[in-house]
Amino acid sequence: MSVDIAGLKLANPMMTASGTCGYSTEYADFVDLRRLGAFVTKSITREPRAGNDYSRVVETRAGMLNAIGLANIGLDAFLAEKVPQLEKLGAPVFVNVAGTSVDDYVAVAEQLEQVPVVRGIELNISCPNVKAGGLQFGTDPEQVRHVTAAVRGACRRNVLIVKLSPNVTDIAATAAAAVEAGADALSLINTFTAMAIDVEKRRPVLANATGGLSGPAIRPVAVYMVHRVYTQVTRDANVPIIGIGGIQYARDALEFILAGATGLAVGTALFADPTCLHSIPEGLADYCRRHGFRRLTELVGSLQTA
Amino acid sequence: MTRQASSRGVYLAEVAANERLCSDHFVLRLPVEGFPPSQPGQFVQLQCRRPVEREGVRVADWPEGRPPQLTQPELTGIEPLLRRPFSLAGHSQSGQTAELEIIYRAVGTGTRWLATVSAGDYLSVLGPLGNGFGVSDHKPLAVLVGGGVGIPPLLYQAERLSAAGKQTVALLGAGRADLLPVRTTGDVPAEPEPTGCVPRLAEIGVGSVIATDDGSVGFAGFVGETFERLLDAGEWPADQLVVYSCGPEAMMRAVGDLCVDRGVECRLAMERHMACGMGTCQSCIVKIRDDNPAGWSYKLCCTDGPVFDAADIVWK
Ligand SMILES: Cc1cc2nc3c(=O)[nH]c(=O)nc-3n(C[C@H](O)[C@H](O)[C@H](O)COP(=O)(O)OP(=O)(O)OC[C@H]3O[C@@H](n4cnc5c(N)ncnc54)[C@H](O)[C@@H]3O)c2cc1C
Ligand SMILES: Cc1cc2nc3c(=O)[nH]c(=O)nc-3n(C[C@H](O)[C@H](O)[C@H](O)COP(=O)(O)O)c2cc1C
Ligand code: FES
Repeated sequence: MSVDIAGLKLANPMMTASGTCGYSTEYADFVDLRRLGAFVTKSITREPRAGNDYSRVVETRAGMLNAIGLANIGLDAFLAEKVPQLEKLGAPVFVNVAGTSVDDYVAVAEQLEQVPVVRGIELNISCPNVKAGGLQFGTDPEQVRHVTAAVRGACRRNVLIVKLSPNVTDIAATAAAAVEAGADALSLINTFTAMAIDVEKRRPVLANATGGLSGPAIRPVAVYMVHRVYTQVTRDANVPIIGIGGIQYARDALEFILAGATGLAVGTALFADPTCLHSIPEGLADYCRRHGFRRLTELVGSLQTA
Repeated sequence: MTRQASSRGVYLAEVAANERLCSDHFVLRLPVEGFPPSQPGQFVQLQCRRPVEREGVRVADWPEGRPPQLTQPELTGIEPLLRRPFSLAGHSQSGQTAELEIIYRAVGTGTRWLATVSAGDYLSVLGPLGNGFGVSDHKPLAVLVGGGVGIPPLLYQAERLSAAGKQTVALLGAGRADLLPVRTTGDVPAEPEPTGCVPRLAEIGVGSVIATDDGSVGFAGFVGETFERLLDAGEWPADQLVVYSCGPEAMMRAVGDLCVDRGVECRLAMERHMACGMGTCQSCIVKIRDDNPAGWSYKLCCTDGPVFDAADIVWK
């Protein structure tokens, strides 16, 4: 079941999707976090952020919208309060980093170089829920190149993962920019900018008006995007993809793996049932056994299209 | 899965009963093996759809050599994806098995689905979650102020207060008689005088006042009015008293403001739309006073709450 992310060996492909699993031990009563391939934190910014007003989430058909607004405790509190807990977690940690300027990203990445338990950085250049920064970095290939290259310089020890936005015309263009600028891995996808309207009140349901769509509803698009990026960009460049978007069951995860993902992260489904962090890898192992695969990695990108 | 005693978790329960209580409310009894001790004010997250494992549709088990069946969970209808939070209305223990009581109002997709569940069906229960009301160590008197679907957690709290020897009265309100989520006797007085008109509470020595907006049963008016009259009457002195309240936000705000005004300790069980209930999604924010420059910060209803001190809440 083990997978290799840019030289870092993970016991299995299973990860938490940023923003759906807290900072560290929030799910410890429900699942054995040591069994994760890697733990990915909530987005951390240089300064603390209160986030958007209430209401921040709404369920939609087979999915949900969120507009949390990158509410987080900030880098200093993260280092002081959460890193000691992460040290006891027993799984490699990737810290998701968000910012509103290239300087922000670089400053946070520099500091995280000094934290041994942190093994990688996931650059969130794709958050649709903040007014400045976030998404704007993620939709323009030139900006993607610029911010990735800058953080690459700061990530000497840490693995550098760039998390791509689906809110683009061609995700292969931003993927190529990130890979050319030195990303070790790509994670895709983040949420789709979306809106839900309370028709009785004739107002948006969310205080932020728009939010990010996640959950099973986005899975077919996410699978397609992983497949496109795999075939157009990462297969030849030998850069692993972490597949994200609507994964809830082992069969969903298999779609991503067949489409070209090496790692997997589960987001919204954790809210419904955090124990899917156990049942998905179990289902994957079972599938390999039944189909006679010795290693999960044999399946990566093995989709038959002809 | 073996689990340590007293750990929160995801449990599968076989429904013992799911019965209509009044026009919109139902009472659900869930025996849950291994469920840890709980506190009144705590809640559980119920999955308002059939547990997938029971249907055998975890499709990593696609039958060998056959195309995927119509067993993809997402194709089984529009049952909600996210769980729904419900307060515990009671928790009794027999050996390893907790019998949880939940009283809910059918208002939307999830709760209407829940109303179709029968004894013998399985439900996935996640919990217990949140902080609970607690019981004051020194103050001997307690007043429960509940509105509509906020009444259930107060029934559980009444048991704790009574067991702790607190002299307790319950002021319970609803829009109209058939929206009251507790059974009453035939003779509910129209005056806001505590009586034994709610047998469940009378049995544990707690008197009740019933109020309805339209006067169809009990006092005609808001439950907040009955609370103000009770304080004014002077038999429940402010410094001896703790108020526990749950209900519509406007009601809790009125009760909370009055308590702050009169120097009465008051704990409110707040309600927010929740995606996770476990402190990870950051959706369920409540504005709480803080000594930072802004004067407030966000706390999470699901983990810091749902019970907050009325004096700490910054209302909209
Ligand atoms: C801590 C806690 C304890 C609770 N305890 C109880 C209890 O003991 N008994 C009980 O009956 N209920 C309780 N509730 C409320 C209960 O969780 C809701 O009634 C339930 O989630 C409704 O689910 P539904 O699928 O039936 O309704 P839905 O179909 O989800 O929606 C119900 C209504 O809410 C609106 N809505 C949904 N999302 C949003 C949003 N983001 N912003 C604005 N409006 C929205 C919908 O438009 C609709 O009008 C509790 C809630 C909390 C937070
Ligand atoms: C409530 C919520 C908060 C999120 N917060 C973040 C975040 O802080 N940083 C980030 O990169 N992605 C964030 N995401 C996006 C997820 O990591 C993930 O990319 C997306 O939800 C799609 O996966 P899913 O369908 O499995 O949820 C968030 C998603 C949700 C639902
Ligand atoms: S409901 Fe998710 S943090 Fe409270």
